[in-house]
Amino acid sequence: MHLVLAAGLLDPASGLIVWKAAAFSILLYVLYKFAWGPITEALKEREETIDNSIRRAEKALQEAKQIQAENDKARREAEREAQRILREARESAEELKEKEKAQMREEMQRMQEQARAEIEREKQGALQELRDEVADLAVQAASKIVKEDLDGQRQRKLVSDFIEDLPQN
Amino acid sequence: MGRDGSAPIRNHGYCMYERHLAMRKSLYALLLVLTLGAFWVPTQAQAAEGGTVDIVGHTADGFYLEFEPMATVELPRIFLMEDASGSLTLKSYASTAAALQSGDFQLVLDGETVTSDSDLSAAIDSKKHLHAGLQPAVGSVILDFSISRHLIFGLLAMLIVALIGISLARKYKRGVGREEAPHGVFQNAFEALIVYIRDEIAKPTLGEKHEKFLPYLLTAFFFILFANLLGLVPYGAAATSNLAVTGMLAVFTFVIGQVYASKEHWKHLLLGPPEVPVLIRIILVPVEILGLLTRHFALAIRLFANMAAGALVIFSLLGLIFIMNVTFGAGAAYGAAVPSIFLTVFISLVKLLVAFIQAYVFTILSALFIGMSVEEHHHDEHHEDDAHHDTGDLTPALAGDGAAPEKARVSTEREVVAS
Repeated sequence: MHLVLAAGLLDPASGLIVWKAAAFSILLYVLYKFAWGPITEALKEREETIDNSIRRAEKALQEAKQIQAENDKARREAEREAQRILREARESAEELKEKEKAQMREEMQRMQEQARAEIEREKQGALQELRDEVADLAVQAASKIVKEDLDGQRQRKLVSDFIEDLPQN
Repeated sequence: MGRDGSAPIRNHGYCMYERHLAMRKSLYALLLVLTLGAFWVPTQAQAAEGGTVDIVGHTADGFYLEFEPMATVELPRIFLMEDASGSLTLKSYASTAAALQSGDFQLVLDGETVTSDSDLSAAIDSKKHLHAGLQPAVGSVILDFSISRHLIFGLLAMLIVALIGISLARKYKRGVGREEAPHGVFQNAFEALIVYIRDEIAKPTLGEKHEKFLPYLLTAFFFILFANLLGLVPYGAAATSNLAVTGMLAVFTFVIGQVYASKEHWKHLLLGPPEVPVLIRIILVPVEILGLLTRHFALAIRLFANMAAGALVIFSLLGLIFIMNVTFGAGAAYGAAVPSIFLTVFISLVKLLVAFIQAYVFTILSALFIGMSVEEHHHDEHHEDDAHHDTGDLTPALAGDGAAPEKARVSTEREVVAS
């Protein structure tokens, strides 16, 4: 202990304190002015820039995601809409086809009936005409028979002549 | 194409191998030098047989630079003197020897004043005057402004810190590290330290006020660090192994803390904790004031003791060789040299670690002490809990605000003990 004290290890030199205090004050001022100030400012600025960049990037990502989601939604909706339209078109086409078919069938039936009625009418007309003709012919035949009422032979000949005179159809 | 591509890779691998080899070579060279040194030292000791090696004198400050075995350079001595009439004069001499030879000062060797010229010149020749006291022939010394070794190396550390700081700032001003990424080992290494001090030391202890005190903390950290590191340089000395230097730094921390102290700090310090009865407060106030002073005193002692101890241990380990030589003869000295050298290398590495740890410890404690006095105190319910904690603090009541700084402090104290 005596040795330590004797050598002045624990004895703060007053002159050294003055020198060091002055030098350290100057160092503190110089570094504050020319080193730490600009450095910490630059670091802060850089951190803010990085922060802002990250925030901007995140925001942009968020926006992109949102836009993508919107796009997806719109696309899905459009698809659904397209499908709906297609289905509707198909349905209406089917309906139209059915309707047309029914109409055609009806038309055909109507035409068939019309034809049948025409035929019937024609037939009736023809029968009537035939009947009239037959009556006329019977009357003519009867009158001829009556006029030439001679004998049986002659009568038979008359009738066969008459039949021969008949139009072939 | 394939051959062209593989060539640089092989070259690179070869380079790595070469570097590895070079590193090993230099390591062997270092060991060789150390071992040779170990064998060379005892012969020197033999030459100086009978003489004493003043370990403490070498650790303590001195008014000379040692470049043994080449030269010892004496430093100028400047004294502020007071005459018998009471007038002040500034006297300066080129060296201690010049001061003695001028007749203005007398050498005090082993408690006796050297009066005869022949004794004086003998003392100067044997360089004993460098480790002895000076006594003015007339008048008295008011202040000893002499340039000392620790002053020189302290100024050197300051110069290094200033150069590093300013060249670093120029890089940032140019935009490197401001708009673009920091570039190079120099900038990245120091930026890591600066950011560490800001984010791990200043911000947790000082909160939003950290920007105001960051320049001081950075200056203190880098000055202490480089002063410590200069102690590891051959022929260098750690300015921080001087109580005057560490005391000056502690005073800076103290003054900064008190100048920017909050109202609550003064109230707490001078009137005691408000929730305590008045009678106890009368006892607590001196304790608080003592605690405040002791904290900063310990700050100075801690750094000084750590740095001085490192130097003392190294000198002691090397001194072991000399002691062996004197007590057991040359053979024992040779035997002791090898372990001594290896232990010295080990302690030097520990000192390298301690250089960083002590700079960190001083900085974080300074930040804590400043933070404690600057903080706007809020006496909350935590106080009672903290009063029960055995933190080893002289004044638990003082540190009772905010558990986090207290914890940090305790852990750093532990680190100090560990180191």
